[in-house]
This record gives sequence, structure tokens and C-alpha cells, in this order.
Amino acid sequence: MENNNIPVEETVTDEIDMNDPSLFEMAIADDSESEHITAPVYSYWGSVFRRFFSSKIAIAMMIVAATIILFAFIQPMFSNYSPMVAPNINNKSMHYIRPFKMAGYPFGTDDVGNSLFDALWAGTKNSLIIALVSTLICEVVGIIVGMFWGFSKKVDAVMIEVYNVLSNIPTTLIAMILVYTMGGGFAQLIFALCVTSWIGTAYFIRVQVMIIRDREYNLASQCLGTPTWKIIINNIFPYLISVIITSVSRDVPSFISYEVALSFMGVGISQEYASLGRMVQKYAAYMTTASYLFWIPVATSAVICVSLYIVGQVLADASDPRTHMV
Amino acid sequence: MAKYILTRIVKACLSIFVVVSIVIVMLFTMIPRTKVMDLDTSYRKMTGDNKTVYRLMRYDQLGYLDYVRLSDMCKSEYDDVTACMINGSTENKAVIEKYESNGYVIEYLRNGTAYGYHDYNILELVWNFWSNLIVVDNVNAVQDENNPDLERKIYIGTDYNGVPAVMGSGTTHKYLIYFDSTFPFIHQNWITFNFGISYPTKAGSLTTDVINEGQGAQVSILQTFPTGVEMESPYNQHTAKYKYTLDHLDMQKFNDNYADCTSYYESPSMVNTSYIFGIISLIIAYVVALPAGMSMARNKDQLIDKIGVVFINVVIAMPSLALIFFIRQIGANFGLPDKFPLLGFKDIRSYIVPMIILAVLSMPSLMTWMRRYMIDQSNSDYVKFARAKGLSQREIFSKHIMKNAIIPIVNGIPASVILCISGALITESAFAIPGMGKMLPDAISKMNNNMVITLTFIFAALSIFSILIGDLLMVVVDPRIQLATKKGGKKNGK
Repeated sequence: MENNNIPVEETVTDEIDMNDPSLFEMAIADDSESEHITAPVYSYWGSVFRRFFSSKIAIAMMIVAATIILFAFIQPMFSNYSPMVAPNINNKSMHYIRPFKMAGYPFGTDDVGNSLFDALWAGTKNSLIIALVSTLICEVVGIIVGMFWGFSKKVDAVMIEVYNVLSNIPTTLIAMILVYTMGGGFAQLIFALCVTSWIGTAYFIRVQVMIIRDREYNLASQCLGTPTWKIIINNIFPYLISVIITSVSRDVPSFISYEVALSFMGVGISQEYASLGRMVQKYAAYMTTASYLFWIPVATSAVICVSLYIVGQVLADASDPRTHMV
Repeated sequence: MAKYILTRIVKACLSIFVVVSIVIVMLFTMIPRTKVMDLDTSYRKMTGDNKTVYRLMRYDQLGYLDYVRLSDMCKSEYDDVTACMINGSTENKAVIEKYESNGYVIEYLRNGTAYGYHDYNILELVWNFWSNLIVVDNVNAVQDENNPDLERKIYIGTDYNGVPAVMGSGTTHKYLIYFDSTFPFIHQNWITFNFGISYPTKAGSLTTDVINEGQGAQVSILQTFPTGVEMESPYNQHTAKYKYTLDHLDMQKFNDNYADCTSYYESPSMVNTSYIFGIISLIIAYVVALPAGMSMARNKDQLIDKIGVVFINVVIAMPSLALIFFIRQIGANFGLPDKFPLLGFKDIRSYIVPMIILAVLSMPSLMTWMRRYMIDQSNSDYVKFARAKGLSQREIFSKHIMKNAIIPIVNGIPASVILCISGALITESAFAIPGMGKMLPDAISKMNNNMVITLTFIFAALSIFSILIGDLLMVVVDPRIQLATKKGGKKNGK
């Protein structure tokens, strides 16, 4: 021991006297200090938003989508547009005014003298409501059913047969027949869209749950006696956020296009409601004579769908924790 | 394997049964039946008893209810109906009471004659449909009081062209199995589907005939009739059915009562129209999408890949209707027609734009899958080994990765046939193409319930069996895949 200490003492004593107590400070034993991990601070949602806002296209598309959504929900409050009310129907000079030709009618007027601008936003609002409510119902039902479906063998045995029966049938067909038999109200259309789509969402979630279900940490949890519902909510659900966002980002545009297609074929929402699909159907007759009537709603539906889809896709990418590693 | 296929087929039939039954119940119970009659112009002009009787006969024909006239009721009870037919007689009262106790609603015409009807309940509706669906032609099919000596036999004879055919007498159809020059060359009339009659559009003809018969003007062909008369006629003699009352024109051509023929038409039927569009657009989609997906995978993260991804996302996100109209407008700028009937079946220009649209609609999923599989495969060990052996990138892609990546694509081929059909719903409506896809919205807007059921059945059956065929095809391509789980083998999962 002594031999080892000698060279050290020699080198140090040259400059400072290591025995000087003023050089030292008493350390206080702090247990909480030892718990502290000096890793960089990680917040899930913080990383999600950082990643999301690093994409310029996503920001641009979000501005477009947000503008359209805000306009669609605010503008109809002032215009009170209804397709059944046509104050200018007898005033021929107000019919077919081209876009940007008259103040107060930015998109011109249609065959009965109604402002296309008002009609467009009222229609967009209704189409958006249909798409958003249907997505909400589909996702909630699909996620709840899908979680149990993926987790329980017994539920799986039954549900997979139900899925085999339902998934084979073209959904457009079933939606058309449902709307046909039940009538074209708001609730009926949403019901028809949901009834055909929830099982697809549930199946999608089921597959994801099955992938995560048998990981070691879940087996450990199960061994420790955690109830199934707790495993589902605490262990599996957080893993599914990016999957769910992917599915939502696909659903909203697809419901909008569904509504447009069904209404175009005459089996969508009934005439007293404005909707993008109704407008496309109504104005398709004026394609050659007053093409702006037709193209403005078509283009609007395309812009909404594409922008919402891209925002959703980027958000889904950003919400996947694996992309957060730098 | 055989057992697996059998269970799959049974399940497929069950799916069709469930879906079609639900549709039948919904259509017959939820659509107000008065609406069905609204579009019938001759009905609207009628008044009084005529109107009542016509309405009940129609409902009976359409399968809503069982309508019995007084004579029907009497015939079921007595051989001699004269006493029963007198209003107020004891026999008359007895028979009416009997029907009333059986659940029939008895009402009276203005002259006091009774009639009855019985609304079918849900079970009866479903049973009536399925029990009448498949019709097997037999020698006792024709019961004609005016022709008691009708021979009843099935024999092998020769048709009007001298080609051998299985023929029948006493059967509904004259030719049960026959050969001709149109695809698939061998045809049969032995087993037919009966979906009921179409109404109010094409009132009275069978729904299957409506979608199977040609469209447009009739085409006359020089042919010899059984009587030896040689003349130009649109008759397709192979479709000859028993006709109960012959006119002098029929007698001029035919020796027997089999004189009810369908005609040759210049344009294909609704089924064939949809079929032509579906298949050709599918071929276009595969021919374009597979190489596109491959080159995207080969040049991952380069310009060509990025362009492809943008294309895929735009097509998926955009409402299909908007996409259809955009492409249609582009086509119109090149002078292509924006409606199919403008130039019709004979002009090739009518087909170009709809086919491109159908192909574009089914391309994104193909491209994504192809790209995904190729990229996944290119990270696998055997590919790294091939690279280590010194194979060129081109050889690795074409000889190794392609063969493995194509397996899941094969599975999807039949399923994309369905996509074509359901995509065709919108495309055919937008272009006014007279196919099955346009028929469905048309039938719905005209309240043609039997037609809706027929089309539901066809679409559902097509899609279910195409998925089954897809699975079987995958086994053929890749022998490693086993659909049936072997006994004693390890079970899936835990």
C-alpha cells in the first residue's frame, strides 16, 4: 500500500497540498439523486409534433385543410344556405353568373340563381360532418371490437367467421342497398357507411394487437395476474396510436369519396341537404354549358381529401415512436 | 386439400345465402310497396276493381303476397266449381271461411265477388326466393292442356346446324346442352337461375334475361328452320323455349311448340359489357403497375420512386368520382367521347377512356404491394448471398426477387376482378355504359327490387368465389403454402 502511494504523493505535493481540507466539500448522501437518469428529456407528443412540423408539405396541407374546415363550419352560419330555398328563381338575370363577375357571388350562381359560394360551403360542411361522424363511430367501434378480437381466442373464432361473411361483399353494394331501403337522411347515410366499414377497422386493429399480444412484457404482465382489460388499455393501446392515426387518415377521405359517389349515383343523401356529392350530381348536367358549377365542387372534394390524407399520413409516421430515434 | 376446398365452398355459399337473404328481407319489408307501383304508368290510369286486381296480381308476381281469386279458391276445394262461384252460396261461404282461417285476408270486389291475399312473412319471403332459385329442366316441366300428346323424353339429337346436342321434349328448353361458335363454345339450358321478373323497367321479362340478352338493334342471320324454310331471321334457335300459344308466323318456321326464341343483337349484353371492360382494364393495370412497382423498388428513394409514391397517394386520397371526371375531361380534350353511347359499341374510341380509368383505379394497391414485397425481399439472406456470389442487380431482381414477390400478387388477381366491378359502378354511371354496374343504380332509382336482388347475388357470388380462387391460385404458384392445417402439426400462435 505504502509503495503505491509514494509516487502519487510526490507528484501532487509538487503543486498543491492535498491534505488541505479547504479543497474538499462534504457530499450529502441523497437517494433521489441516484434515481435521476441523465438522458435527454423525451416527451412522446413533443417528439410527434417536432417530427410532424419538420415536414413542409404537411404544414402546407394542414393550412389548406384547416382553412377549408373552418370556412365550411363558419360560412354556412352566415349564409343559411338551403338547397330548397331559391329566392332568385324567377330573376333570370341572376342565373348562371360566372365566377368573379359580380360582387357577393365569388363563385357565381347556379341554375336557380343561388350563390355557388354559399352552396359549396354548406355542402362541404355536410360532407365533412358525415365523414367525421362516420370515422368516429367506425374507429371507436372498430378499436374496441378489434382489441378484444385480437386478444381473445374465443372471440376470434366467432369474429373471423363474421368477417369472412361480411368482407367478401363489395361495400359500395351494401351501402347502396342500405341507403335505398332506409332513405337518404343524415343518420341513415352515416349508418350505412359505418355498418359496412367498422369490421375492416376492427380486423386491422386485430392484426396489430395479435402482433403485440405475445411480446414478453405482456406475457409477464399476464403471469403477474393483470386483468385482460388492463393489459389492453395500458400495454397495448399506446402501441396502437400510430396505427389508429393511419387508419383515421385513410377513413376520412374515403368516407368523403363514398358520400360523393353514392350521392352522384342517386342513392346518397336526400335532396333537402346540400352535400358535395349532391352538388356534383345536380350540376353534372351543366358540364358543357356552365362547367364551373360542376368543377368547383369536384375540385373542392379532391383538395379536401388529398390534404387530409397527406396530413394524416405524415402524422401517422410522426406518431410512430420508432421514427423518433435520431 | 379437397376437404379444405369443400369447407371453403360451403362457407362461401353460406356467405352468399346470408347476405342475399338479408337484402331480400330489407327490400321487401323496408321499401313501401306502394312506391313500387308509383312508376307504372298503366297502373296509374286504372280505376276501381281493375286497379285492385292489377295491383294484387303484380304483388303476387313480384313475390310480396299470395293472391287468390275466387276461382282459385273454389278449384282447390271442389271439382265442380259452378256452385262455389255463386256469391253467397254455402259452398262459397265455406271456401271463404277456410281461406280466412288459413290467414288470408278476404275482401270483396264491387260486384260482391270475394278474393283473398296473404302477405308473406320474412321466413316465407326468404324460402320462396331460395326454393325457386335453381330450376332444373325436366321432362314434366311443360304442362299444356291443349297438347296432351306431347312426347316426354331427353335424347341426343342434332341441332339446326347438324351439330350433336342434348335435346328434350316436354322440357322448357328444346336444347339442353349444345355447341356453338361463341365463347365458351359449350352451353347449357338444363340448370337455370330464376330471380323473378323485372318490374317496372322491362316489365315481365326475367331479370336474368334482361342482363344476359344483347342490346341495341336485332341482327338477322340467314338460317334454316325446322320446317325447311330458309330465311333471314334474328332468332337464336338454340334458345328455343316451349310456347303455349303459337301464331301463324311461328307455325311457318317451327314443327313443334318450341318457338320462343331470343334474338341476336348487334351489341353485347350487360354482363358481357361489364366483363369486357373489367378484364381488359385489369390486364392494362397489371401490365403497367407491376413494372412500375418494380422500378420503384429498384430505385428506392430516388426520383422515380418519389413520383410513384405521389401518384399512389393522390389516386388513393382523391374521391374516385373526382378522378374519373378529371381523366374523362383530359380524354375529352383529346377528342375522345365523354359518354359511351355517343359513339357506341362499334367505335374503339368509346372504350379507351373508361378502360384507362378502371386501370388507374386498381393500380395504386398493386404498385404499393409490388414495391413493398420487392423491398422486403431485397433485405433477405438469399438475396445477400446472391449478391455475394457476384450476380448483377438485374439478375437478382429478375431471377430471385421477382419470383418470390409475385406470389402474393397472384393471390390478389381474382380479387381485383371485384375491384373492377365495384369501381365499374361509378365509372359505368359516369360514362353511361350499359353494363351491370350502371344497372344497379338504375334499378334502385326505378324500385326494381328483383333486379337489385339479382345484381346483389351476382356481385356477392363473384367476389366471394374470386377470393377463393385467389387462395387456390397461390397454392399452385407456391407449393410451400398450405391452406389446410395439418393434423398433428403445430398449431398457429399459442
